[in-house]
Amino acid sequence: MRKISILVLFVGLVWMAGFFMSAGKQAGPWKPTYLSFNIPAGWPKPPKDIFISNRLTEEGFQLGKKLFYDGRLSKDGNFACATCHQQYAAFANYDHDFSHGFNNAFTKRNAPPLFNLAWMPLLHWDGAINHLEVQPLGPITSTIEMAEQIDSVLFKLKKDSVYRRMFKAAFGDATINSQRLLKAIAQFTGTIISAGSKYDKVQRGEASFTPSEQNGYQLYKTKCSGCHPEPLFTDYSFRNNGLSVNKLLNDSGRMRITRDNKDSLKFKVPSLRNVAISFPYMHDGRFFSLGEVIDHYRTGIVTAQPSLDSLLKKRIPLTNMEKNNLIFFLHTLTDSTLTHNPRFAVH
Amino acid sequence: MNNTNKCLIVILAIFLCQQVMAQNNQTQNNQGTITLSFIPNVAGKPLVLNDSSYTNPFDEIYQISKFRFYVSQVSAKDKQRSQKEKNSYHLIDAADPSSLQFSFSLKPGKYNSIDFLLGVDSVRNFSGAQTGELDPVKNMFWTWNSGYVMLKLEGRSTASTALNNRIEYHIGGYSGAFNTIKKIHLDVNFEIVAGKSVSLPIKTDINTLWQGAHDIRIAASPVCAIPCALAMEIADNYSKMFSIIK
Repeated sequence: MRKISILVLFVGLVWMAGFFMSAGKQAGPWKPTYLSFNIPAGWPKPPKDIFISNRLTEEGFQLGKKLFYDGRLSKDGNFACATCHQQYAAFANYDHDFSHGFNNAFTKRNAPPLFNLAWMPLLHWDGAINHLEVQPLGPITSTIEMAEQIDSVLFKLKKDSVYRRMFKAAFGDATINSQRLLKAIAQFTGTIISAGSKYDKVQRGEASFTPSEQNGYQLYKTKCSGCHPEPLFTDYSFRNNGLSVNKLLNDSGRMRITRDNKDSLKFKVPSLRNVAISFPYMHDGRFFSLGEVIDHYRTGIVTAQPSLDSLLKKRIPLTNMEKNNLIFFLHTLTDSTLTHNPRFAVH
Repeated sequence: MNNTNKCLIVILAIFLCQQVMAQNNQTQNNQGTITLSFIPNVAGKPLVLNDSSYTNPFDEIYQISKFRFYVSQVSAKDKQRSQKEKNSYHLIDAADPSSLQFSFSLKPGKYNSIDFLLGVDSVRNFSGAQTGELDPVKNMFWTWNSGYVMLKLEGRSTASTALNNRIEYHIGGYSGAFNTIKKIHLDVNFEIVAGKSVSLPIKTDINTLWQGAHDIRIAASPVCAIPCALAMEIADNYSKMFSIIK
């Protein structure tokens, strides 16, 4: 009897070992380094969790960064995401009203800076793009930008053993598809956070404003915060700020997407963070200095436009002294911890 | 009780659990299969891409080079319950015969309706990068204005005033004022028997696109490629394109 028991026990143990080993095989040995998304102190939670089905990992971030800086995402190899989104300009296109694209084309709108995108409900000046992950499909396939097709990009990446290794590290196997490509890029762009400016240090009690900056901050609070509220310095709404219409572009803004006349000439309110280094300004990059921008709000607003924002009907009166102090304050929103962070820099 | 016996009891318990799990799997295997099979045609004439000429109700003559649409959230109902197909997204493409039909399992019973969405359900349109049937490489996802093209019809017509007499209908829009997702309900009558497969041929008449709730003339509207009122009208019309072949 005892011998039979031991035999049954032995057979049972072997069977159990097989059972657990096969379970182990399904889970796989893939162990990425998980990252958490850190919300700066005092900031609201993003409106939706864009990483809910794209869990942040160091491997995913590094893959996304490599893709962001890789010209092979474009047809002729010349245009990476980073070509028009440069770190030293807070990932805007420094000193360019319009950007250069494939075959010497110009884009039709100013390339926006990239930071705090996890808080941005809709992307692009007109809100055309509804999720950060699908945003790169626009510039990659646009004939005046990167002019490439997604399957051609995938074909190029699959031939590269470095990418095969990095996709495996980021996603558990070497499959390279559009979903993984887009999720990886979102892990990079979605974690670029700008919260390290002098303004932020003042808020944390680590620095103090000069008297001019302090006066500019007060002016900002009474004159600008209606559309550019702290701490993101935008409410991400779409508004008409009274720019004269450029007849060559005839850009109707948000109306292009909603097809609603009420949205004519409305564009997304950009953040004022890093504004001093992300010139030129407006959807068509028509102003090259902060002085020109403030002059537009003081005297330039076209008040006859029916969709003009109600906060701007009387323009924004500011003296020359106030204008200068406001500019001093806007410079405190420049975040050198973003522009000099090696984590976001090419290799 | 000695240790050997204790171990034996544990093993026996695990073995019993296994048996129960296996039985559950068996219940799942105790199902039949339904195959939905779409048969694209134009007013009864079989669809031949880039070849046959067709005539719409306004006597406008046209050829078709591309015809694709999404089917999602498929379910079947019998008297007691509704059963949903899991991960239910299908791109039906006239150029790819294997895409014209798909199957899923159902419990045995007598079924009286099939329901699905003609198009991709709203949520998938704003949930980021998708894969499989919803992969943007299938060229059914707009890159200039996020969202899926629910139905695509391309071709040529002598009635068209567009470039090269082309006709091009990319019908999309998933929310708000321009929602082109259509709920399709088909009355059916079939019985599912365990281990058996039933095929349900669905006649898919492209000519419904031109006439129904709205008159759509090629001469007036040869192209529609944005979410707009015209797209909604075209979707209203083609939502009647399915009928069960008895």
